[in-house]
Amino acid sequence: MGKFIVKRLLELIPTMFVIVTLSFFMIRLAPGGPFSSERKVSPEIMANLQHKYHMDEPLGMQYLRYLGDMLHGDLGPSFKNKDFTVNQLIGASMPNSLILGVTALAIAVLFGISFGLLSAVCQNTWVDYTTMSAASIGLSVPLFVVGPVAVLVFALRLRWLPTSGWINGRQGWKTIIMPAMTLALPYFSSIARLTRASVLETLRSDYIRTARAKGLKNSVVMVKHVLRGALLPVVSYLGPAFAGIVTGSVVIEQIFLVPGIGNFFVKSALNRDYTLILGTVVVYSAILVVMNLIVDVLYGILDPRISYE
Amino acid sequence: MITAIGKKKNKEQGKNEFNQEMKSVSLAADAWRRLKKNRMAYIGFWVTVIYLAVGLFAPVLPLHPYAQQNTDHAYLKPSLRSAGIVELETRKAYFAKVMAKEGRTAYNQDEQAQIDSILKRNKTDPQQQRHYILGTDSLGRDMLSRTIYGGRISMMIGLVGTVTALLIGIIVGAIAGYAGGAADTILMRFVDIMYGLPYMLIVIIMMAILGRNVAILFVAIALVSWLTIARVVRGQVMSLKNTEFILAARSMGADPWHIVVHHLIPNTLGIIIAYAALSLPEFIMSESFLSFLGLGVSAPLASWGSLISDGVQGMQLYPWCLLVPGIIMTVFLFAMNFLGDGVRDAFDPQSKNRV
Repeated sequence: MGKFIVKRLLELIPTMFVIVTLSFFMIRLAPGGPFSSERKVSPEIMANLQHKYHMDEPLGMQYLRYLGDMLHGDLGPSFKNKDFTVNQLIGASMPNSLILGVTALAIAVLFGISFGLLSAVCQNTWVDYTTMSAASIGLSVPLFVVGPVAVLVFALRLRWLPTSGWINGRQGWKTIIMPAMTLALPYFSSIARLTRASVLETLRSDYIRTARAKGLKNSVVMVKHVLRGALLPVVSYLGPAFAGIVTGSVVIEQIFLVPGIGNFFVKSALNRDYTLILGTVVVYSAILVVMNLIVDVLYGILDPRISYE
Repeated sequence: MITAIGKKKNKEQGKNEFNQEMKSVSLAADAWRRLKKNRMAYIGFWVTVIYLAVGLFAPVLPLHPYAQQNTDHAYLKPSLRSAGIVELETRKAYFAKVMAKEGRTAYNQDEQAQIDSILKRNKTDPQQQRHYILGTDSLGRDMLSRTIYGGRISMMIGLVGTVTALLIGIIVGAIAGYAGGAADTILMRFVDIMYGLPYMLIVIIMMAILGRNVAILFVAIALVSWLTIARVVRGQVMSLKNTEFILAARSMGADPWHIVVHHLIPNTLGIIIAYAALSLPEFIMSESFLSFLGLGVSAPLASWGSLISDGVQGMQLYPWCLLVPGIIMTVFLFAMNFLGDGVRDAFDPQSKNRV
């Protein structure tokens, strides 16, 4: 197991390397630059600006410098947000995005598994039909439709929840309810459907028949044997789900005005803030690949049949 | 494969052991029969057909021009009555509010003049006789025709994206699966690394940097979405390439290209079609996602995502601008998802009851 984790950790290095390289050159080779939109400045000042941000060096040199700094944990100064380093900007916004993402994931997993299990146990009853219809709708409605409609109904018409804001504001924890629920919806739906299908399949397997033949109580069979076996596809879905939640949060942060990293991402890409785009991509990718690793490890813990040799 | 063998037998015999006529069933006919049994998928199929037909024939439908602005008609409610009447009512309702606030009971001069001008235009201007059954947006453009033309763009991107992803995916998957060895290792390592990339983020960067352009949008979405199909095709090809009928083809001297194109790919077609049906709504979702962020198509062109994004701006007072494209898009995705599930079950019976 330990060997497997080390091997996977080592595999992360080329992946991250490709991501950084690809993003770096894609951004740099595109026309336009961080200083091209500003009002005309004299060539001397421009040269000074270029020099300050090392933009006057050859591209390869800049790339190596960036890689070197990154390995020291320094993502460089922001080109557009003067006096801020990328580390500061990301450090301030990242926790908000993480709180939102993790809350959404928790809601999706908790409710998804519960409703999926319920649906499977009550197969072909109204409980099953209602849950599965709701899940189908949840899968088809885009986040950016659900979000604004939820704001319209729950905030503007019924006035139950605030339209936007964040947990450190006056409205407190109430502000996280709508963004987290909206973000969770499609993943809740997928997890509920996955759980239902895999519980139904597991119920037919031999080891469940054995467990029942041993005379175990139904509740023990369900929780200890069925659920554990049935959770495997759900766990392997968590990697893609988290990736989806991370990208989905870009839109959600815009709709609910959450002060997260997603806002920086689109804005910095639009105004060519080279270091900030790269920084957000690096951080996002690092989270994603680490999450995939965690999922793989969890998989091994849940399923003793898998060997990592 | 089974149908192929069945066909051959039928040609020779035409009757089964009970001396009954046997008709050969093609892959498509067989799948169609199974799809028809699945009621939700069947409904989804017809809804999709209607959407595609409306999108295809939009230029010949009696629609108002989708890009034409008419500031007099800004934010008119969805209504079955003519635009002139709705405009008059909207204006009167607004004046009533102003009057209540200022404690008046009669229109002042300016208000009366505006009402008179609307009444006059209603008699002379043919535009006042238009019917906006789904309302208008902030620039007085017809929501119905904008949503239909927006749907055209969204569906087109979905279709082109799917086709491109399939082409790249099939070629890479077939080469990797059939050639094996070093080619396979290199191609699949590449796919693995690409899998690790946060692809939506890369598309966002591409769109932001290379500019908002429908062609770039096509390329960006298609370039990052062929990975899954490449894996699936590779797996299928690998399991098929050692079967007897491939061996037979090879022993008769068929070259690898012929084997791949005429024997291997047709036999993976079921799975490919099933995958395509499920990825179409995903492409449309991705495109709308980008358009919503302001990175997709640019005005006056519209897509469902950009319409929804516009609708969000004034949703408190003019909810139809959000709800019309939102509902129309959701119904389509809903239908596509059911159709996709149905198609997968129909073409790939082994995956039945899977999610």
